Amino acid sequence: MKAFLFKIYMLLFMVLVVFFIVVIWNVTFGHIVHEYYERQKVNDITALKGSNEQEVEKSTFEKVILESDERVKNYLGYKILEETRIKGHFHHIGFDIGPDKRSYCVKCHGDIPHDAVKEIRAFLNMHTFFVGCQTCHIKLEGKNKTGVFKWYNRMSGEIVDSPVKTARPGTYKAKIIPFERVNGQLQRIDNDERIAFALEYSKREKTLTEGQKSRAIKLIHKLVSKKPVQCEECHQKDNPLLPFEAIGYPKERVDSITSTEVVGMIKNYTKFYMPKMLTPEEAKKK
Amino acid sequence: MSLKIALKNYFILFLPAITIMLFMPATSFSADIGNCLLCHKYPGISRVDEEGKLKLFYVNEDIFNNSVHAKVKCDGCHTDIKEIPHKHAIKVDCLVECHIIEPASKKKFSHKDVQTFINKSVHGVIDNKGKEKKFKEDFPTCKSCHDNPLYRPISFFKRVRPGISEQSLGRCRVCHKSEDFIYRSYNHVTTRLHPLNIAGVCAKCHNDLALVTRHGLSTKAVYSYGETFHGKAASFLDERIPNCLDCHVSKGESVHQMLTHKDPNASTSEQNKGKICTTIDCHPSASPKLAKYGVHSEFNLTQSPAQYFFTVFFIVLTGGTLLPLMVIIFLDIVRRFFPNASIGGRK
Ligand code: HEC
Ligand code: HEC
Ligand code: HEC
Ligand code: HEC
Ligand code: HEC
Ligand code: HEC
Ligand code: HEC
Ligand code: HEC
Repeated sequence: MKAFLFKIYMLLFMVLVVFFIVVIWNVTFGHIVHEYYERQKVNDITALKGSNEQEVEKSTFEKVILESDERVKNYLGYKILEETRIKGHFHHIGFDIGPDKRSYCVKCHGDIPHDAVKEIRAFLNMHTFFVGCQTCHIKLEGKNKTGVFKWYNRMSGEIVDSPVKTARPGTYKAKIIPFERVNGQLQRIDNDERIAFALEYSKREKTLTEGQKSRAIKLIHKLVSKKPVQCEECHQKDNPLLPFEAIGYPKERVDSITSTEVVGMIKNYTKFYMPKMLTPEEAKKK
Repeated sequence: MSLKIALKNYFILFLPAITIMLFMPATSFSADIGNCLLCHKYPGISRVDEEGKLKLFYVNEDIFNNSVHAKVKCDGCHTDIKEIPHKHAIKVDCLVECHIIEPASKKKFSHKDVQTFINKSVHGVIDNKGKEKKFKEDFPTCKSCHDNPLYRPISFFKRVRPGISEQSLGRCRVCHKSEDFIYRSYNHVTTRLHPLNIAGVCAKCHNDLALVTRHGLSTKAVYSYGETFHGKAASFLDERIPNCLDCHVSKGESVHQMLTHKDPNASTSEQNKGKICTTIDCHPSASPKLAKYGVHSEFNLTQSPAQYFFTVFFIVLTGGTLLPLMVIIFLDIVRRFFPNASIGGRK
């Protein structure tokens, strides 16, 4: 036993020594090597200097997508405001948009899925931040309609209390999700089975034939309605889709959301817009 | 995304809003920003544009109210937005005359003068012969250096530190009665960016190797600043350390009037350099020779040989002793693991 502990102790000691070797290398000779290559790069550019051409930057995936998430720190003294830098952005963002880990729709469609309809795409994406995809894209009708909606945490996926009264409008770390009735039991619509199916598909996509893929996509979208929920269905005084009080909106917020001012403004946006019938199949044909 | 980053994001989500609310005085103020924030207060209001770039139309209300422009109405800058829905907005002109009245001249306020300072500086696009400089798209505009500046007051009362000096406010209150006025005036006069954030502004261009070489500059200035004592102290958030402007702007001039060190009028020119170091706030008792210290010395044999050999000497000394030592310890441990191992029969 003692010998064993000694072995472990020595092993840890060995790891520590290797760690020190790496650190010392990096701050000493590694540093010189790094500097050497940096200098080398300058020389390449100096060679170009004579020409009046500005090097056209290649837009690699790395540059455009990965590096575009640069972060800045504003040292304000009483705190450090750290935020994503979006090139050319003037106003401050102030917090990060934490990922929605529960939604399997965003795994394929992304966090900013709406683009097709110019008039309202920014609005749709605005709602997507606090309303789950299924709330708008799955219409439970007739006897399937439960009228029950709850908030789920973006990170843990769990059902949580309404965040409405604890944060500025729309800045919640939770989203609204509808509930369906299965065998008389209320159950959230993004159940584990559906998530597992979508995940499985993503994993095996490469090995599937085109036919299998279409079938899988169709199954994933089986619940998705042809016509998503329209603005007015939520923004109306009588019988809005969402039970605002039940999901924690105080009366004055409900009045604002369904006020004639807001509804009138929405009408302005949707005046010239004809809702399109969506189907994954049709989209494929296009 | 790793768990660590994810957790961090999660935390940051609410931290700023809360801290700013705490920081703001009880008499919270805010511009009468009409109804723009009805929609623009929602963080998700966004889309992806035709070039694949994220367009985020979100304006953080708490942070906006703590910015220098808090009293400017949205349409004071976004002058073309008159109707809802609005079409593609034209770019904001920072030099527009706004509705704010400048108290001394009683005229409508504008930033036009800043542009004239920039035109006279090394960052102006037109050279002194009236010709356009080469690579004119490399030169900064207001928006390449500034985002919406946040109030960052400095207390000078006994010590220099970020924040508001309560003792100073006590003196303001003798004559001025409006807390809001006092709070804003204090902020307005004492707000300064942190040296690291100033360096960050310049880094966008002055750390860009391609740009530096295109313009025949000899150093990645922000990088080399960071390598010196000044930069190192700045990264420990020291407030008194010189930032780029302390050296590159002559006393009393606009911070926008930076000149090339080849210009004899520049604060950094060969003949003026000495005066930077010996100002009363910095090294008052130093001899002007101190200016020989390479404030932008890169790790480069041709540019600063003394620094170069000095650094290489210490690197070799440190690495040359510590690395073999570590290797010996490592071998020693290996031996303890296999006390009886032997190579080629020798023990
Ligand atoms: C495995 C990836 C995947 C998942 C998961 C997924 N989708 Fe899709 N979705 C697609 C594909 C592929 C299409 C076909 C459209 C295309 O080719 O661009 C599509 C199409 C759609 C369309 C129709 C688009 C149109 O223009 O007609 C809607 C609406 C939609 N999805 C909503 C959802 C919702 C809501 C969820 C979550 C419940 C979801 N999707 C989950 C891949 C996915
Ligand atoms: C506020 C309700 C709402 C929410 C929340 C919402 N959508 Fe939509 N979505 C719509 C509407 C309405 C349309 C139809 C636009 C049209 O008429 O073509 C649409 C269209 C789409 C389309 C078609 C392509 C396009 O560019 O318009 C896709 C794909 C889609 N949604 C995916 C999603 C996903 C994924 C989510 C969740 C991350 C989501 N939606 C959340 C309302 C919503
Ligand atoms: C699923 C229901 C739903 C749909 C569909 C919906 N909204 Fe909303 N909308 C909401 C909720 C809930 C809020 C309030 C969010 C909050 O403050 O927590 C809101 C807030 C708003 C606000 C801000 C109002 C305020 O007082 O802060 C505007 C503007 C708005 N929505 C426009 C639209 C438009 C335009 C559409 C159609 C493209 C639309 N909404 C579709 C649920 C919906
Ligand atoms: C009814 C909601 C609403 C109100 C109120 C509103 N906006 Fe907007 N605004 C939007 C939407 C939605 C977009 C994104 C349009 C798009 O998709 O390009 C936008 C975009 C913008 C843009 C960017 C335009 C571009 O193309 O770069 C500016 C600037 C802007 N708004 C300023 C304002 C100002 C200033 C006000 C107040 C006078 C205001 N907005 C009021 C909804 C609104
Ligand atoms: C000091 C002037 C100023 C004020 C005040 C101001 N903005 Fe801006 N805003 C800008 C500048 C500069 C940009 C950067 C885009 C540009 O150059 O036009 C911008 C960009 C925007 C954008 C578009 C973001 C993008 O990526 O295109 C929106 C939306 C916006 N502002 C909304 C508002 C709202 C809402 C208010 C009031 C709370 C407001 N602004 C107040 C100067 C201002
Ligand atoms: C080369 C970068 C750069 C450019 C270009 C630039 N600024 Fe500045 N500006 C700064 C820095 C750095 C400060 C000092 C900030 C501090 O110390 O808090 C500053 C300060 C200011 C101030 C505060 C008063 C002062 O002079 O310290 C104003 C107002 C200002 N800038 C407006 C503008 C306007 C308007 C433009 C465009 C015409 C502009 N700036 C262009 C870097 C720049
Ligand atoms: C948008 C890019 C940009 C930004 C941001 C910028 N600069 Fe420059 N700067 C240039 C260019 C380009 C030149 C070269 C001018 C020339 O070729 O004459 C230059 C030249 C200079 C010079 C003169 C160098 C010499 O010849 O001695 C100084 C000093 C300087 N900048 C300081 C700063 C400082 C300090 C900041 C930050 C507050 C800053 N710059 C921000 C682009 C920028
Ligand atoms: C302690 C004073 C000091 C500080 C702080 C300082 N500089 Fe300098 N800088 C100088 C002097 C002096 C020169 C003139 C060249 C020399 O003597 O090395 C110079 C030269 C430059 C040059 C021209 C380099 C060349 O030879 O082409 C640029 C660009 C520059 N500085 C930018 C910056 C930027 C950006 C910062 C902030 C990150 C900064 N400086 C901070 C003193 C300073």
